[in-house]
Amino acid sequence: MSDDPEKVWPTGLNLKEAEEVHSYLIDGTRVFGLIALLAHILVAFTTPWLG
Amino acid sequence: MLNYRDFALRKLASIAPRYLPFADVATEDVPLSRLLRLSLFQITVGMALVLLMGILNRVMIVELNVSAALVAGMIALPLLFAPLRALIGFKSDTHVSALGWRRVPYIWKGTMYQFGGFAVMPFALLMLSGYAEAADAPRWIGVSSAALSFLLVGAGLHMVQTVGLALATDLVKEEDQPKVVGLMYVMLLVGMVVSALIYGALLSNYTPGRLIQVIQGTAVVTVALNLFAMWKQEARDRDVARQMELAPKTRFQDAWRNLAARPGMVRLLAVIGLGTFGFGMADVLLEPYGGQVLGLSVGQTTKLTALLAGGTLIGFGIASRTLTRGGIPVRLAIFGALIALPGFASIILSSLIDTAIPFLLGTFAAGLGAGLFGHATLTATIRNAPNNQIGLSLGAWGAVQATCAGVGIALAGIVRDIVVVMPAFAGLPASTPYNMVFIIEMAFLAMAILVAIPLLLRGTRLKAVNARSKPMEAP
Repeated sequence: MSDDPEKVWPTGLNLKEAEEVHSYLIDGTRVFGLIALLAHILVAFTTPWLG
Repeated sequence: MLNYRDFALRKLASIAPRYLPFADVATEDVPLSRLLRLSLFQITVGMALVLLMGILNRVMIVELNVSAALVAGMIALPLLFAPLRALIGFKSDTHVSALGWRRVPYIWKGTMYQFGGFAVMPFALLMLSGYAEAADAPRWIGVSSAALSFLLVGAGLHMVQTVGLALATDLVKEEDQPKVVGLMYVMLLVGMVVSALIYGALLSNYTPGRLIQVIQGTAVVTVALNLFAMWKQEARDRDVARQMELAPKTRFQDAWRNLAARPGMVRLLAVIGLGTFGFGMADVLLEPYGGQVLGLSVGQTTKLTALLAGGTLIGFGIASRTLTRGGIPVRLAIFGALIALPGFASIILSSLIDTAIPFLLGTFAAGLGAGLFGHATLTATIRNAPNNQIGLSLGAWGAVQATCAGVGIALAGIVRDIVVVMPAFAGLPASTPYNMVFIIEMAFLAMAILVAIPLLLRGTRLKAVNARSKPMEAP
């Protein structure tokens, strides 16, 4: 593992692996962002807080 | 200066892997504590099932005044997703990942969907009921957002359960699989019973604010438990990752045909469908039956549920023991259905002679039979699964099981509602429609037994052939 040329310091993941972990983070952010947006819109309909 | 930086990085590198969600190595022996931790995902599945099937329909109809037809439609939505379990299982079997992960990405995705659905659901329900200013908003917003939230939760729970079971199967050796199946079933049951009690207590004084708290609290608990469950369960493996990259692409149709061609697989799925349908109808009907027909009080009917669940637990325990010691799953499944048949008969009998004792005995027998049948059929599915298609097999099991249980529960609910709407039923006693359903259940269980018998015969014949051929090979 230590002689892997693509190793990304300091986690020990290589580039592809690190990118995959990162993709989960990005996907999660997108999904949670969309959900939060939808929830805010629905709340705004039931109890409007702007105007 | 440089030394400090080097030192810091070295320290970081040495502690970092502990805080990453990988198992260090794929160890031979998985300790029980790790399996217990993994089985927590079943608790979140149980919570979601209870909330969707049991709690929210009452809240929507009684407190939110949503029409019963709309409620029924919403509750049916997660069922639509159940057949897709086979596809999810297949995708997790053939997943390509640089980390060598197959199951964890799907459990994570399913958890996100569950969380998302729960996060939006309370507001969608309030919109649906026209709470506060929502009465002025267009109706389609409430309907479509509620539908979306139910779909998300349903999709998430089917994903988490299918892939979670596949991961549990991956982790243990073949002779330990019955124990794991038992553990998973027990955790599902515990999740359902405990969360039903908690939801009941929390929602007894309903306010819109309380509804939001309860559902969103469920969302947070779901993410927390599932994260804890899957943490460090699947090893990061570069060899597996390389194999994944090089593996030939298979199509779902081919994989499915391959699975269906295995001897006895389709027949086993038919047995699971028939039996689950039969058992599923009982769950909903026992309580109102006890109340309406036998005149039991609310407290007594709650104890009924405990009796049913206790029987099921004992069934799981017996099945785990027997199958670990080399029992034949199909025989045990037939045995479970055979126990439930006289159980339902004595439930019917109790309405004829108007005493509760045969009813209680019958309830216990139905629970015991359901426990044996559920455990044995899942174990049979796992044993029958090809090594590289465990996800697909469990997906097929889940698709059949969830669809049939859901349809059974829904049909039983419809029958119960018909009873409530027209109590007279042309002068017949109140027990007649219930008894008809119990007879239908018995018919389905009998069919399940009939379909299963050839499986058992072939199994013993194969065993006999193996036993005969072995002594010749041995020397």
